[in-house]
Amino acid sequence: MCLAVPHKIIKMLDKNRAIASAGPVEVEIRTDIVPDLAIGDMVLVHAGFAIEKLVGTEGEEICTLWEELREVMENENVFPSN
Amino acid sequence: MEKLNIGHGSGGRLTSEIIFQILQPFRKENVSPYLEDCAIVDGNIAITIDGYTISPRSFPGGNIGELAICGSVNDLAMRGAKPNFIAMGLIAEEGLAKDELLSYMESAAKVCSELSIQLVTGDTKVLPKGQVDGLYITTCAIGTPPSNRDPLGMHLITPGDVLIVTTEIGQHEATIAALRYGLSVPSLQSDCAPLWPLVEQIIEMDGIKCMRDCTRGGLGTVLCEWAESTSLGIEIEESKIPISNEVSSLCDILGFDPLYLACEGCAIIAVAPETSEKVLSVLKAHKLGEKAQIIGKVTEEHKGYVGMNTKAGGRRLIDMPVGEMLPRIC
Amino acid sequence: MSSPQTEEKMVLKLSQALNALLSKEGNKSITIMEVCGTHTVSIFRHGIKSLLHQSFKLISGPGCPVCVTDQSEIDAAISIAEREDSIVTTYGDMLKVPGSWSSLQECRAGGKSVKVITSVAQALDIARENQDKKVVFLGVGFETTAPATAAALIEAKKEKLDNFLVFCMHKTVPPALEALASSEEVSLDGFLLPGHVSVIIGLEPYRFIPEKYGKACAIAGFEPFEIMAGLLEITKQIIKKEPTVKSMYPRAVRPEGNLTAQNLLNQVFEPCNAHWRGLGEIPLSGYRLKPEFEVHDASVRLEIKEYASSPPPGCRCGDVLKGLISPIECPLFGNPCNPMHPVGPCMVSSEGSCAAQYKYDRRR
Repeated sequence: MCLAVPHKIIKMLDKNRAIASAGPVEVEIRTDIVPDLAIGDMVLVHAGFAIEKLVGTEGEEICTLWEELREVMENENVFPSN
Repeated sequence: MEKLNIGHGSGGRLTSEIIFQILQPFRKENVSPYLEDCAIVDGNIAITIDGYTISPRSFPGGNIGELAICGSVNDLAMRGAKPNFIAMGLIAEEGLAKDELLSYMESAAKVCSELSIQLVTGDTKVLPKGQVDGLYITTCAIGTPPSNRDPLGMHLITPGDVLIVTTEIGQHEATIAALRYGLSVPSLQSDCAPLWPLVEQIIEMDGIKCMRDCTRGGLGTVLCEWAESTSLGIEIEESKIPISNEVSSLCDILGFDPLYLACEGCAIIAVAPETSEKVLSVLKAHKLGEKAQIIGKVTEEHKGYVGMNTKAGGRRLIDMPVGEMLPRIC
Repeated sequence: MSSPQTEEKMVLKLSQALNALLSKEGNKSITIMEVCGTHTVSIFRHGIKSLLHQSFKLISGPGCPVCVTDQSEIDAAISIAEREDSIVTTYGDMLKVPGSWSSLQECRAGGKSVKVITSVAQALDIARENQDKKVVFLGVGFETTAPATAAALIEAKKEKLDNFLVFCMHKTVPPALEALASSEEVSLDGFLLPGHVSVIIGLEPYRFIPEKYGKACAIAGFEPFEIMAGLLEITKQIIKKEPTVKSMYPRAVRPEGNLTAQNLLNQVFEPCNAHWRGLGEIPLSGYRLKPEFEVHDASVRLEIKEYASSPPPGCRCGDVLKGLISPIECPLFGNPCNPMHPVGPCMVSSEGSCAAQYKYDRRR
């Protein structure tokens, strides 16, 4: 229901506005909802507003899931190996 | 009372519907069942006409003047015809800066001279302020179809044919969308270019069946039209479709599907399988075709439909877009 | 960041793992609702269903704000656009939705002022530039979208930008999930929860789902591998009979949500009962402007009357939204209802489950 794309903060304009980039696309965004941003921060942007700062690395949760699954699945044959 | 809306002019399903209705009164005159972008008349004359309106009139990679020549030239080139003459009609709004108009003519003339095309006749109208949005250009291009072969067209497509896209898709409309929706993409520009110099390289080769430039409605629309008109299936691989980072990032942000974005210098070519690799290598040797890729093939399966194997390993249908593409937040 | 190739492999492996889990359980039938419309689109667009065993059913929920917006609200929005003294600003999603007698797109074709914006900040700019007009922003969307509306309202109030009005149709997700989880008609094993709503509200508001109704829940992002991981997590919970709320999207979702956003929502809005298309009235599932913001409330300033309108005859969008039928089971699907001539909102919204089914998968 809500399209949001990761952007990197590349310039702070004022308290509530920043320039952010998603790959080669640069756009002015509002930062009202995510205070204390700094240049280099990764944020999720929805409808022109940053809605959260992204932390950690992509796929972390999936690695954990993977490990848990290994325990669940005793039958190693059906479980795809790395 | 049903009124026209923007969607009727956006390519895709509504456009097909309105064109069908426009042609109805002409039925007796026997309109070709295959709607191609250019007609071959009297056996040796290729002719096409197209209207151009774009906002903004100048954009990274081109302007309305250049577009008005490239667009019509490309319609000829797609049936293998060499462009020779242009007729041009201008409808301008009172108050348009003369220098601006002339700068577009400079750009248009430059393309003509590169391709040795002669401007042979034209018309200029100025309408009161508010009746036109700046400037509309209509061009009619006349050319020579290849003499030693049937004109290219959908009727030649057969199962097994290989589909080649000549360059990265969606560059033109993405450029315009970025301007319209306030996104800055310094490295993005329209692919606006005359395709004849590229087509000239391959037109004598065996196995070339059909070509289309992926304008309004984009690659997706052309493929759907081919599948529906020929009653054959089309199968493409998402991972093979050339697309720039710029276009795919912009699509992520605005919620667009790049398959439906208009191009102005990109063609899709159906080629017999035995010559496809050779055609591809000739295309790749030309600067307009450096990024050409084989993206799929024509099949006897799922007749009338376009299927795509997705990057994620799944399968889905490609349908014609309906109406204007709007940015979505949801 | 992982490369696209790694992600592709991951999707495949995750789906193999899921299918293996299912087959170990004798291909037990499992039904999961993906709540979010963006998940729906992603699932269709990447062909994810084609990777899963047929005993695993994914049904689309009420998570498309356009689809669940009541016909009466759409009619009210159109009536605003028909006024001479207004400029309607809207996200592109709403433009084509048919009301009882027109649509915003038709209003625009008829010369009315309807502007498509990509951020409510642009609506503020339009209000500043057109002080002689009432600039009405159509506030649709869930918790993800509402904080931006709240921030704009606070700014307008501070600036005394009294010609900036909001027609508030914002809705909240957990009450709708409660309506679904408690429904006797709908039989679900679990929910794939919306990633970006969860960014704002966190995990707590969903706890009642496993605790009270015993249904499995995972929050997921929107890449195919993220969706697949969410589905796998839910399946695991179902098989182990340990329903809980697990975030598979911790990169973006804090357990407590975004407190700044929650604070903005509380400053500007108060909960109200809301009509959801298909689900009917759900207590305290909508937002309305607090009295302090009345000067910006379009329904007050423009005296919007309640349009008593019923959904188009034969349209089963309601049942589709509840997951009772799949789009192809609706007698109107395809003919006469298709993206060219949408009868109901699920066909018109690009993330509507009917439109997604028609566009990506109608030959199934």
